[in-house]
Amino acid sequence: MIPEIQIMKPEPAPRAENRSDVVCSYLSSEVRLSVRNLNFWYGEKQALFDNNLDILANKVTAIIGPSGCGKSTHIRVYNRIYKMYREQHAEGEVLLDGQSIMGQNIDFIELRRKIGMIFQRPTTFPMSVFDNVAYGLKLHYRMSRSELFNRVEKALTRAALWDEVKDKLNAPATALSGGQQQRLCIARAIAVEPEVLLMDEPTSAIDPLATAKIEELVESLKPNYTIVIVTHNMQQAARISDYTAFFYEGYIIEYGVTKQIFTKPQKKQTENYITGRFG
Amino acid sequence: MRPKSKKTRHGFDLLVKFLSSIAALIGIIFLVWIIFEVAARGVKALDWNFFVAPPTPPGTEGGGVANAILGTLAMLILASLIGVPTGIFAGVYLAEFGDNRFGEAVRFASKVMMGIPSIIVGLFVYALLVLSTGHFSGFAGALALAIIMLPIIARTTEDMLALVPNALRESALALGSPGWKMTLAIVFRAARSGLITGVLLAVARVSGETAPLLFTALNSPFWPKSLNQPTANLTVTIFNYAMSPYRDWQQIAWGASLLIMAAVLTLNIFMRIVLRERKKK
Repeated sequence: MIPEIQIMKPEPAPRAENRSDVVCSYLSSEVRLSVRNLNFWYGEKQALFDNNLDILANKVTAIIGPSGCGKSTHIRVYNRIYKMYREQHAEGEVLLDGQSIMGQNIDFIELRRKIGMIFQRPTTFPMSVFDNVAYGLKLHYRMSRSELFNRVEKALTRAALWDEVKDKLNAPATALSGGQQQRLCIARAIAVEPEVLLMDEPTSAIDPLATAKIEELVESLKPNYTIVIVTHNMQQAARISDYTAFFYEGYIIEYGVTKQIFTKPQKKQTENYITGRFG
Repeated sequence: MRPKSKKTRHGFDLLVKFLSSIAALIGIIFLVWIIFEVAARGVKALDWNFFVAPPTPPGTEGGGVANAILGTLAMLILASLIGVPTGIFAGVYLAEFGDNRFGEAVRFASKVMMGIPSIIVGLFVYALLVLSTGHFSGFAGALALAIIMLPIIARTTEDMLALVPNALRESALALGSPGWKMTLAIVFRAARSGLITGVLLAVARVSGETAPLLFTALNSPFWPKSLNQPTANLTVTIFNYAMSPYRDWQQIAWGASLLIMAAVLTLNIFMRIVLRERKKK
């Protein structure tokens, strides 16, 4: 049941589709994040086993799998956020643009500027809509008041939220709807110009209409960001991702072009999961 | 085996309901009674002089407790200046970094400190400051009050910070926030009303304390010129005047009691409003 340790590069789609955009772009795409032999422990309990994965730049990579299989744990290594908890630790290597991010003296602040994260529930800060976006900007950049405003506007516009909130920039962020709050969190994350956006089930607490908006947003962000999205929702993975990794019990079972994973999975477990036989 | 009679069950239900209602009523009766009694007797003492004049010898018209009001306020402010920042930062330590043996020890210590009778705190400060300096002082009184405030504020701060969801901390850190900024700019703000409540609770608690002031600040019939001398305060004034054989002094003691009661009541009501605002959000 344990797959042999191998580096998971997305498998190109079958020959017949070799000319499809996805595959061509894969061939020309650079690798943004490389994960090598990543193991992870919650205290004594090991949660990830020898994960190997290459995340391609300016693509949407979906991570699917049943609950508790290590999807969130895996992406929480990329920005080292797990370090907040003393009992959690990771071993192995993660490279961002070829540079290790797993070293002892990594600058978390700069790392987390480059790798933003969106959480399951909207985590707006207890301040105004404007200040929510400005908070991250002020952390990382010095700028004039007018430039700050321009950057906030730009981030909100890119997050497809500007039109809805331009008249209530000074209202508390909690006054927005759940979907709007989640897009505000996305605006906050992209305002600091990250390279990678990690999304940990960003639509699981949001109604279907707001979910559709966020999916559109993900699509529109793709040219500028590398997006890794953990999702429970297989239709969502199929709709919005270019590549899909299937996790099961801490192992990466299969990784490839999304279309292929969902139509011709190579592994039995993947097939069972996507056809709804478990999970 | 036969089914229990519906009547007995119903009877017991009524009995328990009755007994607990009586108990609840007794609780509220005493509160209302105290408020009513203190207000009725105290209100007669409240005139202009009460608030602006220093005390006069018994039998002399026009005496007040202005010096004691001032002294109590000064000591409360100084005690808050010492106790609030220390208590809040101790609470921050417990909530954010206290997941270790030292944190456990601090948590236990503050629990014990909350249970220490305030007279013992007074005695401790007496030995520490009054004996060494050779005189009673407002500083000693403020220190005693600060020591009583400290564990209350530390505990409520810890509790209130613990209510802030970890997702909020994570998202602040994930945005590249340094840890200290996450705590001060995000977590504090999220817990703001709770922190205010803790501080007000502590102030309300110590503003009625008499025992720790008895042998630290003592009391004084004069205006407090400096906190480095015995300092007039409301609670010890109540103690002295109520025990005195003079009618006019006893009257003033009721007035001072009403004043403290009204202040503490106001603090409590204010606290409720702050908490309700928080729930609305």
